[in-house]
Amino acid sequence: MSDSKNGAWRQLWSTFFEKSWPMWVGGILLATLNICLFLVKSPWGGSGSYINWGQNLYKLLGMFHLEGTQPITLHLYGLLGVMTVLGAFAGALLSREFAIRIPPLGEMVKGLIGGILMALGCTIGKGCTVGGFLSGIPALSGGAIFLAIGFALGAFLALRYLLWEMEKLPKFGMGKSCTLLAAKGKGGIWQPLLGVAVVAFLIIGASLFYKTSGVLTWFAIIGLLLGLICQRSRFCVTRSFREPFMTGESEAPVAIMAALAVGLFGFTVIKYMGINSGFPGGVRAVATTWVNPNFWLNGLIGGTIFGIGMVIAGGCAVGTLWRMGEGQIKLWFAGLGFTLMAPISVKFIAPWFLHILPDSAQKAVFLPDSLNYWGAVLLLSVILIFWYIFVKWNERTGKFSAI
Amino acid sequence: MNFDETLDCKGLSCPMPILKLAKAMKALDSGKVLELLGTDPGSKNDIPAWCEKTGNEFLGMEDEAGVNKFYIKKA
Repeated sequence: MSDSKNGAWRQLWSTFFEKSWPMWVGGILLATLNICLFLVKSPWGGSGSYINWGQNLYKLLGMFHLEGTQPITLHLYGLLGVMTVLGAFAGALLSREFAIRIPPLGEMVKGLIGGILMALGCTIGKGCTVGGFLSGIPALSGGAIFLAIGFALGAFLALRYLLWEMEKLPKFGMGKSCTLLAAKGKGGIWQPLLGVAVVAFLIIGASLFYKTSGVLTWFAIIGLLLGLICQRSRFCVTRSFREPFMTGESEAPVAIMAALAVGLFGFTVIKYMGINSGFPGGVRAVATTWVNPNFWLNGLIGGTIFGIGMVIAGGCAVGTLWRMGEGQIKLWFAGLGFTLMAPISVKFIAPWFLHILPDSAQKAVFLPDSLNYWGAVLLLSVILIFWYIFVKWNERTGKFSAI
Repeated sequence: MNFDETLDCKGLSCPMPILKLAKAMKALDSGKVLELLGTDPGSKNDIPAWCEKTGNEFLGMEDEAGVNKFYIKKA
């Protein structure tokens, strides 16, 4: 009796923390949490975390007149990002996958450069792979489509660079590496024990925010879950754009399509019904939430720069957050580059660039304005179906795949 | 396990292990076995999946002192 009881618990634990979850399961769960974030206040995004962290850093150093910056613990996305890192840390510990993985020097340089490019791309293009795309498509934003084309173009170019680097500069990413604190073989029981403690500590920590704001509490708890789910399902938007050009496998793009389809449904309900719109101008404000003025060339250029950065770094804004929690030092450098460059780009580089770009290339396009809700959802669904047909065809034929 | 060549991907993160594996396998003769040393948790899924897709034989994985050792036989 007690044996089969233990067996059932063991099976439950194994389901969650022994093998990684299929990426599409992660996609559906993450999209559901993204809908919850929108219901609480506003949708999921990655780049806002780095912008807030960087502004706090420069405020501390007394640079760039950032006195008005909100502290990380009071900023929705500053906090969400920290909790995503910690949630992934917990997920990696629970599954005994945590280790400090120090790569060769060249890889750390690539992480830093990739992070800098992502900071430039998301501030110029007004969105990253998560806020601009994974939330932007469900938000029925026309610019999100051009961001996505940019991501694909950037991923293609950066993959060409990585292949060139392997041929021409084979020493660049080689050299001394080192791994610390790994769970060895069947041992390393300290990792899951610490993981349970981290989760308990974070939930207690999140509940303390309730005195300040219930919205912050929910962002903290959802951030924790986002990080944990991303780590367990190895949810990677970068991969979904890169893989068709690399191995051709379709698992990652299909997982992103699952997330987009669920998000599209939930966001459309919220926008159509005008949920939480009980304030002056609320109905329009909710409907146009996260419809950024990046249609069309603006999104395309920003997306391309971001796409190059994410493939060189090995993770987009959110992909970097959860890999930081897992102990990948290359991604700590990507996060550092992102954090250092984002506030500088927000203040100096993006405004200059947007000034020289014509207004007709940076419009906010809310698709239902011209197509109504049915037409907008239909258009985006058809795009998803064609994308699915393309990745499946490419997986079979390898026409666009380099290896 | 016996192997003919070894490829060090310790400390490298996605996608570098798969890119290096694809390049190393090109240079390998049919029937030879490659050992790949890696620390990226993603490789546990990626390497068997890549082998299945490319028709190379995935012989198995050993976990030793925090380093995963993957064995792949060239088709």
